[in-house]
Order: sequence, then structure tokens, then C-alpha cells
Amino acid sequence: MKMIRAIIRPDMTEQVVDSLADEGFVALTKMNVIGRGKQKGIHLDNIYYDEIPKTMLMLVADEDQTEKIVSIINEKAYTGNFGDGKVFISPVDESYTVRTRSKGL
Amino acid sequence: MKEIIAIIRPKMMIKTKEVLDSLGFPAMTAQRVMGRGKQKAIIQEVSFDIEKTELLEEEGSMRYIPKRMITLVVPDEDFNLVVETIMKINCTGKIGDGKIFVCPLDEAIRVRTEERGQKALV
Repeated sequence: MKMIRAIIRPDMTEQVVDSLADEGFVALTKMNVIGRGKQKGIHLDNIYYDEIPKTMLMLVADEDQTEKIVSIINEKAYTGNFGDGKVFISPVDESYTVRTRSKGL
Repeated sequence: MKEIIAIIRPKMMIKTKEVLDSLGFPAMTAQRVMGRGKQKAIIQEVSFDIEKTELLEEEGSMRYIPKRMITLVVPDEDFNLVVETIMKINCTGKIGDGKIFVCPLDEAIRVRTEERGQKALV
């Protein structure tokens, strides 16, 4: 299993979530985060924004489905400008469902 | 070392903290998150009364459900105990009890003393 963490523009969130749901990836967690990238925030004339609000989506999926999820996120969160976001994939050893006390997604 | 990420009901937080504390795992990070599961967020998960009863059964009648995400880092040999404990406390039998993920973790460093690995955890 893999955990996919996508940091995207807050206004693109619903679009991405709906497209993921259409493809069958309904379960996810979203959280509001602030951060910056390689450009060190945004410089607008004399105003300097160090931390930019973003939304982080977190979902766990089987290994063979990660590529599909990443391509959906890439397609829907894309605007072509700096600040579209990043996607991170990390390993997950085990997952449990609390209600049924069973292992697996 | 293992990182345990558990997404649970917000009202179970106090009890979960108390029990983990008594087992010797007081350290954790908690975060308010929104989320949904396989059932696409059904409205009966929230705690207040809802007058429109037809909404109760419908799938996707709410976009997200407020949840609490807790993150703990524990030594390899203890993660089973922590996972079992969280499952036992949070199990109500109704949809929306939450999920627990166990991820591998390479290194832990305590900022104050620069201790690394297991020593940084205790």
C-alpha cells in the first residue's frame, strides 16, 4: 500500500475530489496547511508573502492504483503557473479499519 | 520505528489520550481534519439531531465529516499494542469509526538534545 499526499491549490480541491470520486477513489482526508515552495513564497512588488495557504489531500491506495490517482490529480490540479502543488508517495506497512477491527483497506 | 496515523472521531479524543497515556505513550500530534470514507460521507455520523430523516440514509449527503487525526511514533515492538488499543477504544460499531495506518519511519531526532533514534522517543 502507498500513501499519497497531494498539496494543491485550495480552489482546485473540489474539482480534484470529484474527479477522484468518479474514478472510485472516494475515501480521503483533507486538511488546510500553509507552506511555500522553491520560489520562497510570492513577491508582489514590495509585498512578500512567505506562507501560502494550500490544501493537503491524503489517501491510501493499493500499489497498482497509485499511478492512476497521481495522473488524475496532475490533470485536475494543473494551471501551468507556479504554485500548482506537489504530490508525495510514501510506503504504508499496514492499515486497519476500526469498526470491523480488520486489517486492510 | 513506526509512524502510526489514526483518523478517529473527535469526541473519542479525550478517552484515547487517557488510555494511551496510561500505557506509556503520552506523546502525540493531533490535527483537526475533514474527511470521508468508502460510504462517501453519510450524515448520521454527526452527533446532532437531524429533522429530515430521508437524508440520514442517503450516501454522499454531506461532503466531508470532521475528524481528528493523531500521529504517534513508536518503537517497532510496540506498534501492535498501540494499534490494538486505539481500535479497542474507538470501536462503536457504527460507520465512521476511522482508519489506522502504520508507516515505516527512518529517523527521529530530538531538537533540544540532538538525540537520535529510539532515544529521541523516550
